[in-house]
Amino acid sequence: MRQMVLATVCVASLMDLAGARAGLAARQREAGLTGRVEAGGRPASDAVVWLDAPGAARAPEARLVIEQRNMQFTPRVMAAQVGSTIELPNNDRVFHNVFSFNHGKRFDLGLYPTGASKRIKLDRAAVNRLYCNIHPHMAAYIVAVDTPYFATSNQAGAFTIPNAPPGEYTYHAWRSGADALQGTVTVGSDSPLEIRWP
Amino acid sequence: MKKALVAALAISMGVARASAQNVITEVDVTVGQSTEDVRAAASQVRVSGDGPKRWRLFAEATWADVWGPTSDAFGSAYPYNNQLRPMEVFAEKTVTGPRFLVGTRLGRYRTPFGIYNRSDHGYAGFLRAPLIRYGGYWALSNNFLETGASVVAGTPRLQAEVSLGIPQDEDVQGRRRGFDRVGRVQASVGPVILGASYIHTQPSAARTFAQGNTEFVGGDLRWMVGGVQVRGEWIDGRSFAGTRTFGGYADLIVHRPFMGPVTAVARAERLDYLAGLRSSFPRRYTTGARIRLASMLVAHVNAIREPAYDTRVPRTSLDLALTFTARR
Repeated sequence: MRQMVLATVCVASLMDLAGARAGLAARQREAGLTGRVEAGGRPASDAVVWLDAPGAARAPEARLVIEQRNMQFTPRVMAAQVGSTIELPNNDRVFHNVFSFNHGKRFDLGLYPTGASKRIKLDRAAVNRLYCNIHPHMAAYIVAVDTPYFATSNQAGAFTIPNAPPGEYTYHAWRSGADALQGTVTVGSDSPLEIRWP
Repeated sequence: MKKALVAALAISMGVARASAQNVITEVDVTVGQSTEDVRAAASQVRVSGDGPKRWRLFAEATWADVWGPTSDAFGSAYPYNNQLRPMEVFAEKTVTGPRFLVGTRLGRYRTPFGIYNRSDHGYAGFLRAPLIRYGGYWALSNNFLETGASVVAGTPRLQAEVSLGIPQDEDVQGRRRGFDRVGRVQASVGPVILGASYIHTQPSAARTFAQGNTEFVGGDLRWMVGGVQVRGEWIDGRSFAGTRTFGGYADLIVHRPFMGPVTAVARAERLDYLAGLRSSFPRRYTTGARIRLASMLVAHVNAIREPAYDTRVPRTSLDLALTFTARR
């Protein structure tokens, strides 16, 4: 009887330990990285932050869309993993001609009318600048990154990179009109990453 | 006028309330000088955004004036009459699927005939409207506006648009009140977009001078590859009974990567107005550039050559303009 009780306690303890370890591992797996971006002392939206992670598994393919509506690209800044396909539907009642020529992928999608959509595949890491040949004020950025760990800051300057396993990484930060920044960060340390442009 | 301004204000407020995150306000300020001794100043304010259920709301007001002799310089897409005027004020919705498209536009909008959008003509490189699209030449006008409803249906590759409304032009001499019928069919084949249009409307001259109706058919074409755009229109019809007007224009617009901020433009055009002793046969050739000086500042330079026509001697003009655009 005593042996049975001892055995039960041992098994329970081992299960607890295993459970605790599994929970910790799960928490660590789900740790991710949160942070905040500022420029000139104010929250900076549409900044892209990514972590170098060579050898990390690819994120599942998502349908990514940059809409042309109200004579603008929406969203104006998009981050996506290399290999992703971006749809560019024209939802205005005027023609658009999306092109990119100065950095990243070079393409010219030609003139296309309302209701039509064209797509591009991101084949290498780069900052792609999109323009419309008919409406010179239209501009957007697609930041193609070679890692599954990336995020874009929101209106409050906050960002979250989910699912980044704990560890030390090199991070990169980009926003339009500013020099790219980089540094090191420890994921799982519970302290948010603060990125500041002057 | 008052009603349209109130509608513009209501739409602007509606847009702001409905979707504060997605309201776009744009202000253009343009100043220009032509060797025809014409000076011009203009400003437009546009507000657009998404309303409930993805209805797109748009309102635009303009003020512009010219000083100097009568000329069509700077009249590419707006009236220059020293009045604060509403232009397009509408709500529109378009639903698209992989193989269908259906949409409607309600309110006051540019007459959907041929190449008619503001962005096709307004400060796009040319500072004058095509001869066939300037009100003084007995043809169409870029300041033709309809108040009514238009419906577009088809597929992204082949679509038809029908507009029913009354004319509410912003030209010095607007069309007489009446019932307008405008139709347009558009097809895209690879990089080529072809259109055919029809309009049945009222003449812009007084009834004592111009009887009957205004009626035109037109064809238009656009082709664009690698930053090189070729486009043009041809129209044929009558501005009122007993006359015939036909003519067109061909534009070349080039913006290749090596050109940086410069977009080169060229236009050749003709118009034949057959009205007995009042007939007129203007011809015009334009070359120029649109130069982005800074993110919000654009310069336009147009050199215009008009060979001798009717009783006029050949004329060469140079138009210069600066447009400042703020967008938020």
